[in-house]
Amino acid sequence: MFDFIEPAVFALLTIAIVAGGAGVVLANRITTSALLMAFTFLNVAAMFVLLGAETIAMFQVLIYVGAITVLILYGVMFTPQSPRPYGLFFQTQKWWAAAFVAPIAIFVALVAFAFRDSASAGAKGGDLVPLATSVFRDFAFPFEVASVLLLAAMVGAIVLVKRDED
Amino acid sequence: MTVPLGAFVAVSAVLFFIGTAGVLVRRNAVVILMCVELMLNAANLALVAFSRRFASIDERGSVFVIFIFVVAAAEVAVGLAIVLSAYRNRPTVDVDEIRQLRG
Repeated sequence: MFDFIEPAVFALLTIAIVAGGAGVVLANRITTSALLMAFTFLNVAAMFVLLGAETIAMFQVLIYVGAITVLILYGVMFTPQSPRPYGLFFQTQKWWAAAFVAPIAIFVALVAFAFRDSASAGAKGGDLVPLATSVFRDFAFPFEVASVLLLAAMVGAIVLVKRDED
Repeated sequence: MTVPLGAFVAVSAVLFFIGTAGVLVRRNAVVILMCVELMLNAANLALVAFSRRFASIDERGSVFVIFIFVVAAAEVAVGLAIVLSAYRNRPTVDVDEIRQLRG
C-alpha cells in the first residue's frame, strides 16, 4: 500500500541533490555556493538513510554538513570574494532563517516526545554493529593509519597558515 | 517496490559530473574545493549503494566510505591552508592568477 513512498522520496532527494549541486557550480555568491553544498550533503545523507546505512548518514551529517562546511565558510571569510558589497546571507534575513529552522525544531521535539517511553529505541543497532566489527577487526590497521593521516594533515594545515614570528 | 541500484548509481554519476564540471569551470579556489567535496560525496553514494544492495560484500563499502570521510577532512583542511597561504603571498584566490610555478 505504501510502496510508492520509497520511489517518491528517492525522486525528491534526486531533484534536491542535482539542483543543489548545480547551484554550487552556478551560484554567483560564494556564500550561496557553500550553503547549497551543505544542502546537497544533507540530501545525500537522507539518501544513505534510504539505502539503510544510518550510521554512514550520521557521519555524513557530522563531518560534511558540520565540519567541512564550517571549514569552507571560514575559507570564504578569510579570502576576498567579489568586489561588490553584500551582507552575510542570514544577517539580513533572520525571519527567513527562523521560518527555516522552526519546522525542524518542531519536528525534533515531536520525535523526542513520541519516543519518550521507549528506553531502548533502536536496540537493533541498524548497520552500526557490522560496521564497527568491520572497522575494528578487519580494518584495524588502516584505521590507525587514518588517524596518523589526520594528525599529519592537522599539523600541516597549522604550519601552512602560521605566520612567521621573526 | 524498492528503488533499483542503477538509480542510485545514476544519481552518483550525475553528482560526480556536476562536481567535475565545477572544478573545470570555476576559477575561485574555494569553490573548486567545494566541487571536489561533491565528487567525493558522489563516490560515497555509489559505494554505499553497492555495499547495501549486495549482501555478500557485507559492510566493506561502508568502511571505505569512512576512510573517504577521513581523507576528505584532511584534504579540505590542507587545501584551505594552501589557499590561505597562497592568498597571503598574492592577494587573489583566482586559480588563473596563481601561476608563480609556471615556467
